[in-house]
Amino acid sequence: MSETSPEAEPRKLAEDARDRVRFEEEALELADQVYRVARRLVATREEAEDLMQETYARAFRAWRSFQPGTNLRAWLLRILTNLNIDRGRRVQRAPDTQPLEEGDYFLYNKLQEGGDSQEERVDERLSQDDAVSALSAVPHDFRDAIVLVDIGDFSYADAAQILEIPIGTVMSRLHRGRRILKKELADRTVGSGV
Amino acid sequence: MTLGFEPDPCAKCEEMLQPYLDRELTDTERNEAEGHLDGCSYCRKRYRFEEELRRFVRQAAVEEMPPDLKTKLAALRTPLH
Repeated sequence: MSETSPEAEPRKLAEDARDRVRFEEEALELADQVYRVARRLVATREEAEDLMQETYARAFRAWRSFQPGTNLRAWLLRILTNLNIDRGRRVQRAPDTQPLEEGDYFLYNKLQEGGDSQEERVDERLSQDDAVSALSAVPHDFRDAIVLVDIGDFSYADAAQILEIPIGTVMSRLHRGRRILKKELADRTVGSGV
Repeated sequence: MTLGFEPDPCAKCEEMLQPYLDRELTDTERNEAEGHLDGCSYCRKRYRFEEELRRFVRQAAVEEMPPDLKTKLAALRTPLH
């Protein structure tokens, strides 16, 4: 037998509605930040918009599974990255054999050529479009880690939780991903004659 | 136990570069890296370059959300009864 008093049920419903509204408002406030990450996890703006709508639709349905007091932005991005995987957008696998040994210094050395100030060299020899296309050329697994940490400002621990991989794997993907990114940027630099 | 930079201080410094910029080093490790950077112009240049490169990529990669998307997302909320 339930011991619920006649007044308890409406009160419970009202509390539930209040919690849900609060959750939805907080989630919407984070939409700009979530979108910045989403936009670089996929190739086009349209894909990013679709992914955002799917993510928010799912989050609003599953709001009870969010634990208040934990990181809502990371929770939303975990849904988003899972949806991204489910939708089969990760056909491309990471090339493990790409020679990158010199990758870390290659861009540095290339931008050094004929220049005095490092800062000026980056801006002068690479356009914003170069940076975006170089990032897009990084295979998904590596790019996800870079986008979460460098654009989303997530810690290694948060990125590990979002991607459901160990922290050590986040670190190695970042390490390798940034090397690939630098190699891609080096290929796009102008004026070196290489 | 030593946490010093021998035998190759620059190699150790290089190893710490990424976690340093990601603010993921412990206090001890950060002090160690900064101690080396104070006296090594080569590593200092590398760190500055990495920092600048990240700032550049981040700035280029950030694209703001289209305003109508926020309206679409808000429309997905559960209607109040």
